Amino acid sequence: MKKTHENTYTVYLLTDRLIHIIYKKAPCIDLKAAQVIVMDRMQLQEGREMPVLCDIREVRNINKAARDYLALEGSLWIEKLAFLIDPPVTDMISSIYLDTHAQKVPTQSFDNKSEALAFLGIEEKDGN
Amino acid sequence: MPNSDDFRVKRIQKMLLEMAKGNFFYSIEPSDKNDNIASLVVLLNMVNEEIGAAFIHQGFANAHNTPQCVIQLSLILDAQGQIELVTNGTCSLMSYLPKDLIGKHITEFLSEKSGKKWTKKMAKHLKRERSETVLFLEFVTNDGLVLSKDCQLSVYQALDGSGQKILLDSVFFSKGEPFDTGLPKKTLKVTKGIKEHKVTLTPEDIQIIRDVHDMIINNLEKDLPRLNDLARQMGTNEYKLKYGFKQIYGTTIFRFLTRERLRMAKTLIKHSTLTIKQIIQMTGFKSKTHFSRAFKDKYGMSPTDLRS
Repeated sequence: MKKTHENTYTVYLLTDRLIHIIYKKAPCIDLKAAQVIVMDRMQLQEGREMPVLCDIREVRNINKAARDYLALEGSLWIEKLAFLIDPPVTDMISSIYLDTHAQKVPTQSFDNKSEALAFLGIEEKDGN
Repeated sequence: MPNSDDFRVKRIQKMLLEMAKGNFFYSIEPSDKNDNIASLVVLLNMVNEEIGAAFIHQGFANAHNTPQCVIQLSLILDAQGQIELVTNGTCSLMSYLPKDLIGKHITEFLSEKSGKKWTKKMAKHLKRERSETVLFLEFVTNDGLVLSKDCQLSVYQALDGSGQKILLDSVFFSKGEPFDTGLPKKTLKVTKGIKEHKVTLTPEDIQIIRDVHDMIINNLEKDLPRLNDLARQMGTNEYKLKYGFKQIYGTTIFRFLTRERLRMAKTLIKHSTLTIKQIIQMTGFKSKTHFSRAFKDKYGMSPTDLRS
């Protein structure tokens, strides 16, 4: 089963084993954006806990309210979380996010998709 | 040359100087670039938000008896958006002299995005005789730093018959005496009820209390052990844990637990198809009555109302 979904801020690719979230270019991820991003993810997942690959390479600005929301409300139904980053900017964003928020789920950042998938326990195949 | 490295480094220096003075309400406009300076800007903005939040927070704000000053950003504009009056605080915040601001159009001091928003939203509000709204605006200071804040806007009729005016108002918090001039006279203490039990916390104590905080967040569905046991388990004592937690997080451990449980419940009610009963179990509440009452107190509506 494969599903895709898109909103103003993100694109979602859902397979049986993984949800892949790609952040689009946006001026700033604020609280409203974070709420939409989490709501859509939860609706796609329909209660299933899944590993999440979160591609934040296009993110340039995310404010504190959004970071707090993503770390608390936004961590439900996530089994494991891998950030896909592109140093230095998104490396910095993921580092400070990970350092300032208590992680409810195992989370790591990668600049390489295969390593990110390996961390999530997913074998790389076409379509992921 | 707004894009030269030299220019960007100067901005960073200005921002750091403001932070050193205890002014955490400025930010630097992020760029599309992906280089080391851009990453430094992102880091600085985020660190600034984190420290700023901690200073406003009663625990840290009170830790060194730091007075919390309020600086008011206040402007009166005519219906066209031309600035008629500015307060001293506004000038200090914006690093402009009154004469640089008065007579100019407000959009000259807003970011491009905020300028467009202003034009669009105010056109609507000015159609009414009186109107009030809150707009999130980004001001650009003379130093090129960004001040972003929710601003209260009131449209009113001048009594002398000169037509409609706009009052723009917002408030910023600052540590200590924020500016050489401007002198906010009233200090606001963002503290209450923590005087009686002030504990001195070592860095190790603070780390333990942070660990307790994280542990609670990660185990919302589980019962909290007795404070005494929890303190012993974490290597501290009950007194330090109890009052230290309150000092750092501004709430008691049990209130914090309830608040976080309710937060999780709210998210599940809104975005999942789980039954309320399942959600109550998952969030560690013991009875439906307790849950419903706490939920309604916090969010002003019952769980079932939120669902429907």
